[in-house]
Amino acid sequence: MSKLLNLALGILAAIGGFVDIGDLVFNTAAGATFGYQLMWVIPIGVVGIIVYSEMCGRVAAVSGKAVFDAVRERVGFKAGLFALISSELVNLLTLAAEIGGVAIALQLLSGLDYVVLLPLTVVGLAVVVWTTQLDWIERIFGYGGLCLLVFAVAAVKLGPPWVKVGNGFIPHLAQNNPWLYLYFVVGLLGAAMTPYEVYFYSSGGIEDRWTPKDIGLNRANAIVGYGLGGFLSLALMITGAAVFLKHGINPEHLGTIALGTEEPLGKIGLLLALVGILFAVGGASIDTVFSGAYNLAQFFGWEWGRYRHPAGAPRFTLTWLVLFVAAFAIVVTGVDPVMLTEYAVIFSAVALPLTYIPILLVANDPEYMRANRNGRLANVLGLVYLVMIMVIAITAIPLMLITNVGQN
Amino acid sequence: MRYAAVVAAALVLTGCNGGTVDRHALTNDAATIDSINCESWLLARADARGRLPRFYAREQAEELQIQAANFADALAHRRAATGLEQRVRARARDAGTLSTQLHILHAYPTDHAIAKRLARQFKQAGNCS
Repeated sequence: MSKLLNLALGILAAIGGFVDIGDLVFNTAAGATFGYQLMWVIPIGVVGIIVYSEMCGRVAAVSGKAVFDAVRERVGFKAGLFALISSELVNLLTLAAEIGGVAIALQLLSGLDYVVLLPLTVVGLAVVVWTTQLDWIERIFGYGGLCLLVFAVAAVKLGPPWVKVGNGFIPHLAQNNPWLYLYFVVGLLGAAMTPYEVYFYSSGGIEDRWTPKDIGLNRANAIVGYGLGGFLSLALMITGAAVFLKHGINPEHLGTIALGTEEPLGKIGLLLALVGILFAVGGASIDTVFSGAYNLAQFFGWEWGRYRHPAGAPRFTLTWLVLFVAAFAIVVTGVDPVMLTEYAVIFSAVALPLTYIPILLVANDPEYMRANRNGRLANVLGLVYLVMIMVIAITAIPLMLITNVGQN
Repeated sequence: MRYAAVVAAALVLTGCNGGTVDRHALTNDAATIDSINCESWLLARADARGRLPRFYAREQAEELQIQAANFADALAHRRAATGLEQRVRARARDAGTLSTQLHILHAYPTDHAIAKRLARQFKQAGNCS
Protein backbone atom coordinates (compact mmCIF):
# COMPACT_ATOMS: atom_id res chain seq x y z
CA MET A 1 0.00 0.00 0.00
CA SER A 2 2.79 2.36 0.93
CA LYS A 3 4.54 1.54 -2.39
CA LEU A 4 1.32 2.27 -4.29
CA LEU A 5 0.91 5.53 -2.43
CA ASN A 6 4.52 6.47 -3.17
CA LEU A 7 3.99 5.67 -6.82
CA ALA A 8 0.82 7.78 -6.97
CA LEU A 9 2.52 10.67 -5.20
CA GLY A 10 5.55 10.40 -7.47
CA ILE A 11 3.36 10.40 -10.56
CA LEU A 12 1.35 13.39 -9.39
CA ALA A 13 4.57 15.26 -8.74
CA ALA A 14 5.91 14.27 -12.15
CA ILE A 15 2.78 15.54 -13.94
CA GLY A 16 3.00 18.88 -12.19
CA GLY A 17 6.78 18.96 -12.56
CA PHE A 18 7.01 17.99 -16.24
CA VAL A 19 6.16 21.38 -17.66
CA ASP A 20 8.85 24.05 -17.44
CA ILE A 21 9.25 27.46 -19.02
CA GLY A 22 10.50 25.90 -22.29
CA ASP A 23 7.35 23.78 -22.62
CA LEU A 24 5.12 26.74 -21.75
CA VAL A 25 6.75 29.01 -24.33
CA PHE A 26 7.21 26.55 -27.21
CA ASN A 27 3.92 24.67 -26.95
CA THR A 28 1.81 27.82 -26.75
CA ALA A 29 3.76 29.61 -29.49
CA ALA A 30 3.54 26.52 -31.73
CA GLY A 31 -0.26 26.46 -31.33
CA ALA A 32 -0.49 30.20 -31.92
CA THR A 33 1.59 29.96 -35.11
CA PHE A 34 0.62 26.63 -36.71
CA GLY A 35 -2.62 25.74 -34.97
CA TYR A 36 -2.96 22.00 -34.41
CA GLN A 37 -0.42 21.02 -37.09
CA LEU A 38 2.40 20.29 -34.63
CA MET A 39 0.49 18.03 -32.22
CA TRP A 40 2.39 15.00 -33.55
CA VAL A 41 5.70 16.29 -32.20
CA ILE A 42 4.59 16.10 -28.56
CA PRO A 43 4.11 12.30 -28.29
CA ILE A 44 7.41 11.80 -30.11
CA GLY A 45 9.21 14.02 -27.58
CA VAL A 46 7.44 12.40 -24.64
CA VAL A 47 8.34 8.86 -25.76
CA GLY A 48 11.95 10.04 -26.18
CA ILE A 49 12.20 11.39 -22.64
CA ILE A 50 10.49 8.25 -21.29
CA VAL A 51 12.94 5.96 -23.11
CA TYR A 52 16.05 7.75 -21.86
CA SER A 53 14.76 8.55 -18.36
CA GLU A 54 13.82 4.91 -17.86
CA MET A 55 17.29 3.93 -19.08
CA CYS A 56 19.21 6.26 -16.79
CA GLY A 57 16.88 5.47 -13.86
CA ARG A 58 17.65 1.78 -14.41
CA VAL A 59 21.38 2.52 -14.58
CA ALA A 60 21.08 4.42 -11.29
CA ALA A 61 19.11 1.60 -9.64
CA VAL A 62 21.46 -1.19 -10.78
CA SER A 63 24.90 0.41 -10.72
CA GLY A 64 24.34 3.18 -8.19
CA LYS A 65 25.81 5.62 -10.72
CA ALA A 66 24.16 8.78 -12.01
CA VAL A 67 24.60 10.14 -15.55
CA PHE A 68 27.83 12.08 -15.09
CA ASP A 69 29.48 9.32 -13.05
CA ALA A 70 28.90 7.15 -16.07
CA VAL A 71 29.93 9.83 -18.58
CA ARG A 72 33.31 10.29 -16.91
CA GLU A 73 33.93 6.55 -16.68
CA ARG A 74 32.59 5.59 -20.09
CA VAL A 75 33.69 8.36 -22.48
CA GLY A 76 36.88 9.49 -20.73
CA PHE A 77 37.99 12.74 -19.16
CA LYS A 78 38.37 15.00 -22.24
CA ALA A 79 35.13 14.08 -23.99
CA GLY A 80 33.40 14.01 -20.61
CA LEU A 81 34.68 17.48 -19.80
CA PHE A 82 33.31 18.77 -23.10
CA ALA A 83 29.91 17.23 -22.27
CA LEU A 84 30.10 18.70 -18.78
CA ILE A 85 30.90 22.25 -19.95
CA SER A 86 28.17 22.28 -22.59
CA SER A 87 25.58 20.85 -20.19
CA GLU A 88 26.54 23.36 -17.48
CA LEU A 89 26.20 26.28 -19.91
CA VAL A 90 22.78 25.10 -21.09
CA ASN A 91 21.75 24.49 -17.47
CA LEU A 92 22.80 28.00 -16.52
CA LEU A 93 20.85 29.59 -19.38
CA THR A 94 17.81 27.49 -18.49
CA LEU A 95 18.12 28.38 -14.81
CA ALA A 96 18.33 32.10 -15.61
CA ALA A 97 15.21 31.83 -17.77
CA GLU A 98 13.33 29.89 -15.07
CA ILE A 99 14.26 32.42 -12.36
CA GLY A 100 13.06 35.23 -14.61
CA GLY A 101 9.85 33.25 -15.19
CA VAL A 102 9.22 32.85 -11.45
CA ALA A 103 9.77 36.60 -10.94
CA ILE A 104 7.33 37.42 -13.76
CA ALA A 105 4.66 35.10 -12.32
CA LEU A 106 5.12 36.70 -8.89
CA GLN A 107 4.95 40.17 -10.47
CA LEU A 108 1.65 39.35 -12.20
CA LEU A 109 0.22 37.97 -8.94
CA SER A 110 1.52 40.61 -6.54
CA GLY A 111 2.07 43.78 -8.55
CA LEU A 112 5.56 44.16 -7.07
CA ASP A 113 8.39 45.36 -9.26
CA TYR A 114 10.17 42.70 -11.35
CA VAL A 115 13.58 44.02 -10.36
CA VAL A 116 12.71 43.75 -6.67
CA LEU A 117 11.29 40.28 -7.16
CA LEU A 118 14.36 38.86 -8.92
CA PRO A 119 16.66 38.82 -5.84
CA LEU A 120 13.73 37.77 -3.63
CA THR A 121 13.09 34.85 -5.98
CA VAL A 122 16.69 33.69 -5.88
CA VAL A 123 16.93 34.02 -2.09
CA GLY A 124 13.54 32.30 -1.65
CA LEU A 125 14.51 29.37 -3.87
CA ALA A 126 17.90 29.05 -2.13
CA VAL A 127 16.20 28.98 1.28
CA VAL A 128 13.79 26.28 0.08
CA VAL A 129 16.67 24.20 -1.29
CA TRP A 130 18.70 24.66 1.91
CA THR A 131 15.94 23.87 4.38
CA THR A 132 13.56 21.44 2.67
CA GLN A 133 13.96 17.72 2.02
CA LEU A 134 14.11 16.71 -1.63
CA ASP A 135 10.92 14.62 -1.62
CA TRP A 136 9.02 17.51 -0.07
CA ILE A 137 10.44 19.94 -2.66
CA GLU A 138 9.22 17.59 -5.40
CA ARG A 139 5.79 17.29 -3.81
CA ILE A 140 5.24 20.97 -3.04
CA PHE A 141 6.21 22.17 -6.51
CA GLY A 142 4.74 19.15 -8.29
CA TYR A 143 1.33 19.52 -6.61
CA GLY A 144 1.37 23.29 -7.09
CA GLY A 145 2.21 22.71 -10.75
CA LEU A 146 -0.94 20.60 -11.02
CA CYS A 147 -2.82 23.92 -11.20
CA LEU A 148 -1.65 23.85 -14.84
CA LEU A 149 -4.39 21.27 -15.40
CA VAL A 150 -6.51 24.39 -15.82
CA PHE A 151 -5.10 24.49 -19.37
CA ALA A 152 -6.60 21.04 -20.02
CA VAL A 153 -10.01 22.23 -18.78
CA ALA A 154 -9.64 25.39 -20.87
CA ALA A 155 -8.67 23.37 -23.95
CA VAL A 156 -11.84 21.26 -23.68
CA LYS A 157 -14.06 24.23 -22.85
CA LEU A 158 -12.76 26.19 -25.85
CA GLY A 159 -14.32 23.48 -28.04
CA PRO A 160 -11.54 23.10 -30.62
CA PRO A 161 -12.31 21.34 -33.92
CA TRP A 162 -11.46 17.83 -32.72
CA VAL A 163 -11.05 16.41 -36.23
CA LYS A 164 -8.35 19.00 -36.93
CA VAL A 165 -6.80 18.25 -33.55
CA GLY A 166 -6.76 14.54 -34.46
CA ASN A 167 -5.25 15.24 -37.89
CA GLY A 168 -2.49 17.17 -36.13
CA PHE A 169 -1.16 13.86 -34.77
CA ILE A 170 -0.27 12.72 -38.30
CA PRO A 171 3.33 13.82 -39.00
CA HIS A 172 3.58 16.15 -41.99
CA LEU A 173 5.43 19.23 -43.21
CA ALA A 174 3.61 22.57 -43.35
CA GLN A 175 3.19 24.05 -46.81
CA ASN A 176 3.51 27.63 -45.61
CA ASN A 177 6.73 28.67 -43.94
CA PRO A 178 8.43 25.24 -43.67
CA TRP A 179 11.59 26.65 -42.00
CA LEU A 180 9.63 28.16 -39.14
CA TYR A 181 7.66 24.92 -38.86
CA LEU A 182 10.91 22.93 -38.59
CA TYR A 183 12.24 25.41 -36.03
CA PHE A 184 9.20 24.66 -33.89
CA VAL A 185 9.66 20.89 -34.37
CA VAL A 186 13.22 21.21 -33.06
CA GLY A 187 12.13 23.53 -30.24
CA LEU A 188 9.29 21.26 -29.12
CA LEU A 189 11.53 18.20 -29.09
CA GLY A 190 14.29 20.13 -27.32
CA ALA A 191 11.82 21.36 -24.70
CA ALA A 192 10.39 17.86 -24.12
CA MET A 193 13.78 16.11 -23.97
CA THR A 194 15.74 18.84 -22.21
CA PRO A 195 18.89 17.28 -20.70
CA TYR A 196 18.51 18.59 -17.14
CA GLU A 197 15.43 16.39 -16.71
CA VAL A 198 17.42 13.18 -17.13
CA TYR A 199 20.31 14.42 -14.96
CA PHE A 200 17.84 15.24 -12.22
CA TYR A 201 15.86 12.04 -12.70
CA SER A 202 18.91 9.80 -12.50
CA SER A 203 20.48 11.60 -9.54
CA GLY A 204 17.08 11.67 -7.82
CA GLY A 205 16.96 7.87 -8.15
CA ILE A 206 20.22 7.64 -6.25
CA GLU A 207 19.04 10.19 -3.65
CA ASP A 208 15.96 7.97 -3.16
CA ARG A 209 18.33 4.96 -2.79
CA TRP A 210 16.83 2.97 -5.63
CA THR A 211 17.96 -0.65 -5.93
CA PRO A 212 17.30 -3.21 -8.69
CA LYS A 213 14.01 -3.91 -6.86
CA ASP A 214 12.85 -0.41 -7.85
CA ILE A 215 13.20 -0.94 -11.61
CA GLY A 216 9.43 -1.42 -11.90
CA LEU A 217 8.80 1.77 -9.94
CA ASN A 218 11.27 3.61 -12.18
CA ARG A 219 9.50 2.38 -15.30
CA ALA A 220 6.04 3.30 -13.99
CA ASN A 221 7.21 6.74 -12.88
CA ALA A 222 8.80 7.49 -16.24
CA ILE A 223 5.95 6.21 -18.40
CA VAL A 224 2.96 7.51 -16.46
CA GLY A 225 4.53 10.70 -15.09
CA TYR A 226 6.04 11.95 -18.35
CA GLY A 227 3.12 10.58 -20.37
CA LEU A 228 0.57 12.54 -18.39
CA GLY A 229 2.91 15.53 -18.31
CA GLY A 230 2.86 15.46 -22.12
CA PHE A 231 -0.91 15.72 -21.87
CA LEU A 232 -0.39 19.21 -20.39
CA SER A 233 1.81 20.12 -23.36
CA LEU A 234 -1.03 19.12 -25.70
CA ALA A 235 -3.44 21.27 -23.69
CA LEU A 236 -1.10 24.26 -23.96
CA MET A 237 -0.87 23.85 -27.72
CA ILE A 238 -4.65 23.56 -28.12
CA THR A 239 -5.15 26.68 -26.00
CA GLY A 240 -2.54 28.51 -28.08
CA ALA A 241 -4.34 27.58 -31.29
CA ALA A 242 -7.91 28.14 -30.07
CA VAL A 243 -7.25 31.52 -28.46
CA PHE A 244 -4.13 33.13 -29.87
CA LEU A 245 -4.14 31.89 -33.48
CA LYS A 246 -7.84 32.68 -33.71
CA HIS A 247 -7.24 36.28 -32.60
CA GLY A 248 -3.96 36.77 -34.50
CA ILE A 249 -1.81 37.01 -31.37
CA ASN A 250 1.83 35.96 -31.14
CA PRO A 251 2.32 35.24 -27.39
CA GLU A 252 5.67 36.83 -26.53
CA HIS A 253 5.19 37.23 -22.76
CA LEU A 254 4.75 34.63 -20.03
CA GLY A 255 1.66 36.51 -18.83
CA THR A 256 0.06 36.11 -22.25
CA ILE A 257 0.19 32.32 -21.93
CA ALA A 258 -1.95 32.54 -18.78
CA LEU A 259 -4.39 34.89 -20.55
CA GLY A 260 -5.38 31.93 -22.75
CA THR A 261 -7.40 30.50 -19.85
CA GLU A 262 -9.36 33.71 -19.17
CA GLU A 263 -11.59 33.46 -22.23
CA PRO A 264 -13.06 30.04 -21.32
CA LEU A 265 -12.73 30.14 -17.50
CA GLY A 266 -12.62 33.76 -16.36
CA LYS A 267 -10.68 35.18 -13.42
CA ILE A 268 -10.35 31.89 -11.53
CA GLY A 269 -8.87 30.20 -14.62
CA LEU A 270 -6.33 32.97 -15.01
CA LEU A 271 -5.36 32.85 -11.35
CA LEU A 272 -4.94 29.06 -11.41
CA ALA A 273 -2.82 29.35 -14.56
CA LEU A 274 -0.55 31.94 -12.91
CA VAL A 275 -0.18 29.85 -9.75
CA GLY A 276 0.50 26.75 -11.87
CA ILE A 277 3.15 28.61 -13.85
CA LEU A 278 4.72 29.88 -10.63
CA PHE A 279 5.03 26.39 -9.11
CA ALA A 280 5.97 24.60 -12.34
CA VAL A 281 8.69 27.08 -13.22
CA GLY A 282 9.82 27.35 -9.58
CA GLY A 283 10.13 23.56 -9.37
CA ALA A 284 12.00 23.50 -12.67
CA SER A 285 14.43 26.13 -11.30
CA ILE A 286 15.27 23.83 -8.41
CA ASP A 287 15.59 20.77 -10.68
CA THR A 288 17.90 22.77 -12.95
CA VAL A 289 20.14 24.11 -10.20
CA PHE A 290 20.42 20.64 -8.69
CA SER A 291 21.23 19.16 -12.09
CA GLY A 292 24.09 21.62 -12.51
CA ALA A 293 25.46 20.80 -9.06
CA TYR A 294 24.95 17.03 -9.50
CA ASN A 295 26.82 17.02 -12.81
CA LEU A 296 29.84 18.89 -11.53
CA ALA A 297 30.05 16.89 -8.29
CA GLN A 298 29.62 13.54 -10.05
CA PHE A 299 32.18 14.36 -12.71
CA PHE A 300 34.86 15.42 -10.24
CA GLY A 301 33.97 12.77 -7.67
CA TRP A 302 32.89 15.14 -4.91
CA GLU A 303 30.44 14.31 -2.13
CA TRP A 304 26.97 15.16 -3.38
CA GLY A 305 23.31 14.81 -2.51
CA ARG A 306 20.49 16.54 -0.73
CA TYR A 307 20.13 13.66 1.71
CA ARG A 308 23.29 15.03 3.30
CA HIS A 309 23.24 18.20 5.35
CA PRO A 310 24.59 21.08 3.19
CA ALA A 311 27.76 21.07 5.29
CA GLY A 312 28.20 17.35 4.59
CA ALA A 313 28.69 18.02 0.87
CA PRO A 314 30.27 21.50 0.89
CA ARG A 315 31.45 21.66 -2.74
CA PHE A 316 28.07 20.43 -3.98
CA THR A 317 26.35 23.06 -1.82
CA LEU A 318 28.72 25.78 -2.99
CA THR A 319 28.07 24.81 -6.63
CA TRP A 320 24.30 25.26 -6.46
CA LEU A 321 24.74 28.53 -4.57
CA VAL A 322 27.16 29.80 -7.24
CA LEU A 323 24.78 28.66 -10.00
CA PHE A 324 21.95 30.65 -8.41
CA VAL A 325 24.15 33.75 -8.23
CA ALA A 326 25.38 33.32 -11.83
CA ALA A 327 21.83 32.86 -13.14
CA PHE A 328 20.74 35.94 -11.20
CA ALA A 329 23.61 37.92 -12.75
CA ILE A 330 22.38 36.94 -16.23
CA VAL A 331 18.70 37.69 -15.72
CA VAL A 332 19.24 40.94 -13.80
CA THR A 333 20.79 42.49 -16.93
CA GLY A 334 17.22 42.89 -18.16
CA VAL A 335 17.34 40.13 -20.76
CA ASP A 336 13.84 38.87 -21.60
CA PRO A 337 13.30 35.45 -19.92
CA VAL A 338 11.11 34.26 -22.81
CA MET A 339 13.83 35.08 -25.35
CA LEU A 340 16.38 33.46 -23.05
CA THR A 341 14.17 30.36 -22.91
CA GLU A 342 14.19 30.07 -26.69
CA TYR A 343 17.99 30.23 -26.78
CA ALA A 344 18.24 27.76 -23.86
CA VAL A 345 15.95 25.24 -25.56
CA ILE A 346 17.74 25.49 -28.91
CA PHE A 347 21.20 25.17 -27.33
CA SER A 348 19.98 22.27 -25.22
CA ALA A 349 18.88 20.60 -28.47
CA VAL A 350 22.49 20.97 -29.67
CA ALA A 351 23.77 19.38 -26.44
CA LEU A 352 21.31 16.45 -26.50
CA PRO A 353 23.67 13.85 -28.04
CA LEU A 354 26.32 14.56 -25.41
CA THR A 355 23.81 13.52 -22.76
CA TYR A 356 22.08 10.65 -24.46
CA ILE A 357 24.95 8.78 -26.17
CA PRO A 358 26.72 7.92 -22.87
CA ILE A 359 23.41 6.80 -21.32
CA LEU A 360 22.78 4.41 -24.20
CA LEU A 361 26.34 3.07 -23.98
CA VAL A 362 26.18 2.50 -20.23
CA ALA A 363 22.71 0.95 -20.34
CA ASN A 364 24.19 -1.68 -22.69
CA ASP A 365 27.35 -2.26 -20.69
CA PRO A 366 27.26 -5.74 -19.08
CA GLU A 367 29.80 -4.71 -16.43
CA TYR A 368 27.47 -1.97 -15.16
CA MET A 369 24.10 -3.48 -15.83
CA ARG A 370 24.52 -7.27 -15.59
CA ALA A 371 21.09 -8.88 -16.21
CA ASN A 372 19.37 -5.50 -16.44
CA ARG A 373 20.99 -4.39 -19.69
CA ASN A 374 18.82 -2.81 -22.36
CA GLY A 375 16.39 -5.19 -24.04
CA ARG A 376 15.73 -5.17 -27.79
CA LEU A 377 12.88 -2.62 -27.57
CA ALA A 378 14.92 -0.19 -25.46
CA ASN A 379 17.84 -0.46 -27.89
CA VAL A 380 15.73 -0.02 -31.02
CA LEU A 381 13.96 3.00 -29.53
CA GLY A 382 17.24 4.31 -28.11
CA LEU A 383 18.95 4.13 -31.50
CA VAL A 384 16.02 5.65 -33.40
CA TYR A 385 15.95 8.55 -30.95
CA LEU A 386 19.72 8.89 -31.09
CA VAL A 387 19.59 9.39 -34.87
CA MET A 388 16.77 11.90 -34.41
CA ILE A 389 18.70 13.72 -31.70
CA MET A 390 21.76 13.97 -33.97
CA VAL A 391 19.64 15.49 -36.75
CA ILE A 392 18.10 17.93 -34.27
CA ALA A 393 21.53 18.88 -32.89
CA ILE A 394 22.90 19.59 -36.36
CA THR A 395 19.89 21.58 -37.59
CA ALA A 396 18.98 23.52 -34.43
CA ILE A 397 21.29 26.53 -34.81
CA PRO A 398 20.90 26.93 -38.61
CA LEU A 399 17.12 26.90 -38.13
CA MET A 400 17.40 29.44 -35.33
CA LEU A 401 19.39 31.75 -37.62
CA ILE A 402 17.18 31.25 -40.69
CA THR A 403 14.01 32.02 -38.71
CA ASN A 404 15.53 34.83 -36.63
CA VAL A 405 14.87 32.87 -33.40
CA GLY A 406 11.36 31.99 -34.49
CA GLN A 407 10.47 35.59 -35.34
CA ASN A 408 10.40 34.67 -39.03
CA MET B 1 16.99 48.78 -14.58
CA ARG B 2 13.75 49.28 -16.46
CA TYR B 3 15.64 51.71 -18.72
CA ALA B 4 18.31 49.06 -19.33
CA ALA B 5 15.62 46.55 -20.24
CA VAL B 6 14.06 48.98 -22.73
CA VAL B 7 17.44 49.76 -24.30
CA ALA B 8 18.30 46.04 -24.51
CA ALA B 9 14.95 45.26 -26.12
CA ALA B 10 15.36 48.15 -28.57
CA LEU B 11 18.85 46.91 -29.47
CA VAL B 12 17.52 43.41 -30.04
CA LEU B 13 14.70 44.76 -32.19
CA THR B 14 16.88 46.98 -34.31
CA GLY B 15 19.72 44.48 -34.42
CA CYS B 16 17.54 41.58 -35.49
CA ASN B 17 15.67 43.56 -38.12
CA GLY B 18 18.76 45.25 -39.56
CA GLY B 19 19.30 48.95 -40.14
CA THR B 20 16.91 49.57 -43.01
CA VAL B 21 13.22 48.70 -42.95
CA ASP B 22 12.47 46.83 -46.17
CA ARG B 23 9.13 45.42 -47.29
CA HIS B 24 9.62 42.11 -45.46
CA ALA B 25 10.61 43.81 -42.19
CA LEU B 26 7.68 46.21 -42.46
CA THR B 27 5.25 43.33 -42.97
CA ASN B 28 6.65 41.54 -39.92
CA ASP B 29 6.63 44.66 -37.76
CA ALA B 30 3.09 45.53 -38.84
CA ALA B 31 1.97 41.98 -37.96
CA THR B 32 3.59 42.29 -34.53
CA ILE B 33 1.88 45.63 -33.88
CA ASP B 34 -1.45 44.07 -34.88
CA SER B 35 -0.68 41.16 -32.54
CA ILE B 36 -0.03 43.57 -29.64
CA ASN B 37 -3.27 45.38 -30.49
CA CYS B 38 -5.26 42.14 -30.43
CA GLU B 39 -3.68 40.98 -27.18
CA SER B 40 -4.43 44.39 -25.71
CA TRP B 41 -8.01 43.98 -26.89
CA LEU B 42 -8.34 40.61 -25.08
CA LEU B 43 -6.79 42.16 -21.98
CA ALA B 44 -8.95 45.30 -21.97
CA ARG B 45 -12.11 43.33 -22.79
CA ALA B 46 -11.54 40.96 -19.86
CA ASP B 47 -10.70 43.94 -17.65
CA ALA B 48 -13.91 45.72 -18.68
CA ARG B 49 -15.88 42.63 -17.65
CA GLY B 50 -14.11 42.50 -14.27
CA ARG B 51 -12.50 39.16 -15.14
CA LEU B 52 -8.88 40.09 -14.41
CA PRO B 53 -6.98 40.19 -11.13
CA ARG B 54 -6.02 43.84 -10.57
CA PHE B 55 -2.27 43.37 -10.59
CA TYR B 56 -2.36 41.20 -13.69
CA ALA B 57 -4.16 43.87 -15.73
CA ARG B 58 -1.73 46.56 -14.61
CA GLU B 59 1.49 44.59 -15.10
CA GLN B 60 0.54 42.92 -18.38
CA ALA B 61 -0.57 46.29 -19.80
CA GLU B 62 2.84 47.70 -18.87
CA GLU B 63 4.69 44.83 -20.57
CA LEU B 64 2.73 45.40 -23.76
CA GLN B 65 3.18 49.17 -23.46
CA ILE B 66 6.97 48.78 -23.32
CA GLN B 67 6.89 46.51 -26.36
CA ALA B 68 4.73 48.98 -28.33
CA ALA B 69 6.93 51.92 -27.30
CA ASN B 70 10.03 50.06 -28.52
CA PHE B 71 8.39 49.52 -31.88
CA ALA B 72 7.30 53.15 -32.09
CA ASP B 73 10.82 54.32 -31.32
CA ALA B 74 12.54 51.88 -33.68
CA LEU B 75 10.20 52.54 -36.61
CA ALA B 76 10.40 56.30 -36.12
CA HIS B 77 14.18 56.36 -36.32
CA ARG B 78 15.26 53.55 -38.63
CA ARG B 79 15.92 54.22 -42.29
CA ALA B 80 13.18 53.03 -44.64
CA ALA B 81 13.71 51.45 -48.06
CA THR B 82 12.84 53.62 -51.05
CA GLY B 83 9.09 54.19 -51.35
CA LEU B 84 8.31 52.84 -47.88
CA GLU B 85 9.13 55.93 -45.80
CA GLN B 86 5.51 57.06 -45.30
CA ARG B 87 4.22 53.60 -44.48
CA VAL B 88 7.01 52.99 -41.97
CA ARG B 89 6.40 56.29 -40.21
CA ALA B 90 2.63 55.61 -40.23
CA ARG B 91 3.24 52.30 -38.46
CA ALA B 92 5.50 54.14 -36.00
CA ARG B 93 2.59 56.47 -35.21
CA ASP B 94 0.23 53.48 -34.82
CA ALA B 95 2.65 51.89 -32.37
CA GLY B 96 2.98 55.21 -30.52
CA THR B 97 -0.80 55.50 -30.19
CA LEU B 98 -0.99 51.90 -28.99
CA SER B 99 1.70 52.61 -26.40
CA THR B 100 -0.22 55.65 -25.11
CA GLN B 101 -3.48 53.67 -24.84
CA LEU B 102 -1.73 50.85 -23.00
CA HIS B 103 -0.22 53.37 -20.61
CA ILE B 104 -3.78 54.49 -19.75
CA LEU B 105 -4.84 50.87 -19.17
CA HIS B 106 -1.77 50.39 -16.97
CA ALA B 107 -2.59 53.52 -14.97
CA TYR B 108 -6.34 52.75 -14.49
CA PRO B 109 -6.62 48.96 -14.32
CA THR B 110 -9.76 49.03 -12.19
CA ASP B 111 -11.75 51.51 -14.30
CA HIS B 112 -14.06 49.27 -16.35
CA ALA B 113 -15.42 52.14 -18.47
CA ILE B 114 -11.94 53.13 -19.63
CA ALA B 115 -11.10 49.48 -20.31
CA LYS B 116 -14.27 49.09 -22.40
CA ARG B 117 -13.46 52.17 -24.51
CA LEU B 118 -9.86 51.05 -24.99
CA ALA B 119 -10.96 47.53 -25.93
CA ARG B 120 -13.00 48.98 -28.81
CA GLN B 121 -10.04 51.03 -30.00
CA PHE B 122 -7.59 48.11 -29.80
CA LYS B 123 -9.95 45.83 -31.69
CA GLN B 124 -10.44 48.34 -34.47
CA ALA B 125 -6.74 49.22 -34.76
CA GLY B 126 -5.62 45.59 -34.84
CA ASN B 127 -8.48 44.44 -37.05
CA CYS B 128 -8.97 41.63 -34.52
CA SER B 129 -11.48 38.84 -34.95
